[in-house]
Amino acid sequence: MHDVPDSGDVSPPADAVPGAPRSGAASPAALRALRKLAPLLWLGPSILLIAFVVLWPVVEMARTSLQKITSSGLTQGWNGVRNYSDLFDEDALIPVLLRTVLWVAGVVVVTLLLSLALGQLLNARFPGRRVVRWAVIVPWAASVLMTALIWKWMLDNFSGLVNRALLDLHVIDRPHNWLGDPHQAMLWMMWVAVFVSLPFTSFVILAGLQTIPADVYEAARVDGAGPWRSYFQITLPLLRPAVLIAGIINVINVFNSFPIIYEMTGGGPGNDTDTTTTFMYKLAFSDQHVGESAAMSVINFALVLVMVALYLSFSRWREETR
Amino acid sequence: MKRHLTVAIAAGLTVAVGVSGCSKGSSSSGDGGSDKTIKFVAAIYDDNTKGYWDGLIKDFEAKNSGYKVDLEMVDWTQMDAKVKTYVQTKQVPDVLNYNAFSDFARDGLIYQASDVVSPNTLSDFSPTFVEQAKYNGTQYALPFISSARLMFYNKDLFKKAGISDAPKTWADVKADAQKIKAGGKIGYGLPLGPEEAQAEFYSWAMNNNGGWVDASGKWAIDQQANIDTLNFLKDLNKSGLTQPNPESTDRKTVFNQFAQGRVGMSIGGPFTRAGFIDPVNKNLNYGIAPLPSKAGTEHNTLGVMDILAAFKRNDGKNKEAVRKFLDFFYDKDNTSKFLKLENFLPVTKSAGDALSADPYFKQFVDALPTSKFAPTGNPAWSAVAGAVKQQLGTAVANKDPKAVLGDIQKTAEKAG
Repeated sequence: MHDVPDSGDVSPPADAVPGAPRSGAASPAALRALRKLAPLLWLGPSILLIAFVVLWPVVEMARTSLQKITSSGLTQGWNGVRNYSDLFDEDALIPVLLRTVLWVAGVVVVTLLLSLALGQLLNARFPGRRVVRWAVIVPWAASVLMTALIWKWMLDNFSGLVNRALLDLHVIDRPHNWLGDPHQAMLWMMWVAVFVSLPFTSFVILAGLQTIPADVYEAARVDGAGPWRSYFQITLPLLRPAVLIAGIINVINVFNSFPIIYEMTGGGPGNDTDTTTTFMYKLAFSDQHVGESAAMSVINFALVLVMVALYLSFSRWREETR
Repeated sequence: MKRHLTVAIAAGLTVAVGVSGCSKGSSSSGDGGSDKTIKFVAAIYDDNTKGYWDGLIKDFEAKNSGYKVDLEMVDWTQMDAKVKTYVQTKQVPDVLNYNAFSDFARDGLIYQASDVVSPNTLSDFSPTFVEQAKYNGTQYALPFISSARLMFYNKDLFKKAGISDAPKTWADVKADAQKIKAGGKIGYGLPLGPEEAQAEFYSWAMNNNGGWVDASGKWAIDQQANIDTLNFLKDLNKSGLTQPNPESTDRKTVFNQFAQGRVGMSIGGPFTRAGFIDPVNKNLNYGIAPLPSKAGTEHNTLGVMDILAAFKRNDGKNKEAVRKFLDFFYDKDNTSKFLKLENFLPVTKSAGDALSADPYFKQFVDALPTSKFAPTGNPAWSAVAGAVKQQLGTAVANKDPKAVLGDIQKTAEKAG
């Protein structure tokens, strides 16, 4: 790639000096500037797209959070920081924030651990591997809403499969309303979140495993490393980029996850199973307070940025992606 | 997960864009072009609704040449979000079928009723409903359909438990529920989940002289009568006389169980037979009785009303077409056809007796005069109802009724 601009740089002056003195005075500088702008041709559309699809909504979101919007949806000018002070007055805010942290950390950690094991399994050679790989993809192919709905029905108090099975096995003696109690509901929803996150994560890990050359293991074996040692000292360190990518995408996804909680408990009873994402929705559509909801979404946005920044700095991503 | 990411981004953007009051939507008012074309957004009550409107609009267009009605059907679960988006993006329909209107009236978005229907139509509405259609003393909304709530009870379970009559007092309810529970069934089906907690609670509170507002119209949600009501319901739950977790159970679950003969009593409406009981068990032997009251002397009924509202558009040039269409709908034959089809109660005097021939519906029609309504004329009501739906159920579970009602009262006062 470097050869092309170089030879181009050399040839114009050679032509310019003897041949065309009139245009030659301005053209080298102009050409160089033009050439510097050339990448814009390729980058421009995506920059425009990002500006339109990402930056503009962010600006609008921040603007909305400072506006007074009536319950019917009419905008009535600026509202200062009233929306934010209303939000900070909500008794539910702190528990919701803490719950969100637990939700994200719990789901992502469990997903990563299970995916490391699953990736290893999918990477191993055994008969029927193709079938197993497809089976792992299935939850990914199904709509998240559908998965949540199916789990909701399986956990149903009156006609759920889970209660039926446990009753028949005499584990419980009367049906239990799994989604009625906020703590149990939260655990079940975290499980569903793990369930839908597994396919993507384990395939990223699998891809990572396949980039590790076999001769590294061979060398280790020659040096007398057992399976555990070669896993922790070779596989895991070499998997770091894959784990990093999987982790960060999962953090963002799980943080923003709406359908699972909305479908399974609606964040209730009260706000006892809300995360910031469902809380934000309820502020706008139950409490009819669009401005406060926008304030919540600004904070949500800031939280994601902070979490991603922390995660990246802890994992020293610059060294990894080089 | 990349797909999820895309979805998440798309959803986030939709919310962000939807939430942002992007005021450039004015181009929309030019669509259709002519003042003779109006847009009508109708709610889906059931599978028959769209067929009814399609037929009515065809008929209307045939009889009023040049006029056109664009119909959009919206599911009730989507309605709130849709309506907000219409207003924020300045793409309001000409006529909207909804359950709230007062904040539109407050914000000057809709016409007064007298602007968009003929005096004949206007004087045909029953006074009870006109009262509910007013904001600051002026009628803005057009009553559309109404509904009432009564106590449904399973006669077979009652007989088996040795109970002869439907409960009249709260003490009766508890005693009957205990007898039914002894037979291994659920005594009272109590849906205080987010679907309709406000209706269930008010059905009990109004029969203890409680309610949403005091005599002067100020919010009185944390009044003692309401606290007592919640304490009674909480006691039913804690004594094991209701289904488990009333705070997260919705009406449809309760009536599904009722239809299967597993629930002794529950509060339902005119729609309950066709919507919940018949599809599950047509042979269920049940009776309908007035809502029990604490003292047992006076029995109030919860009234519910949906409305039509006409939005101001094109500097008022849509008024003529809207009026033609609304007067056409409020023709006696057209309204009674809708009520019969959808099992709702009338809001006009002329369609009054369309349903009374059926003894099932007659009980609800007869109960209407004793009905009490939620304060829909107060623009803050939708915010209050939202808070009630989310929070109220927790009071019969692990939270203190007084504290929960106090929180809702605070929300109400903040909202206006």
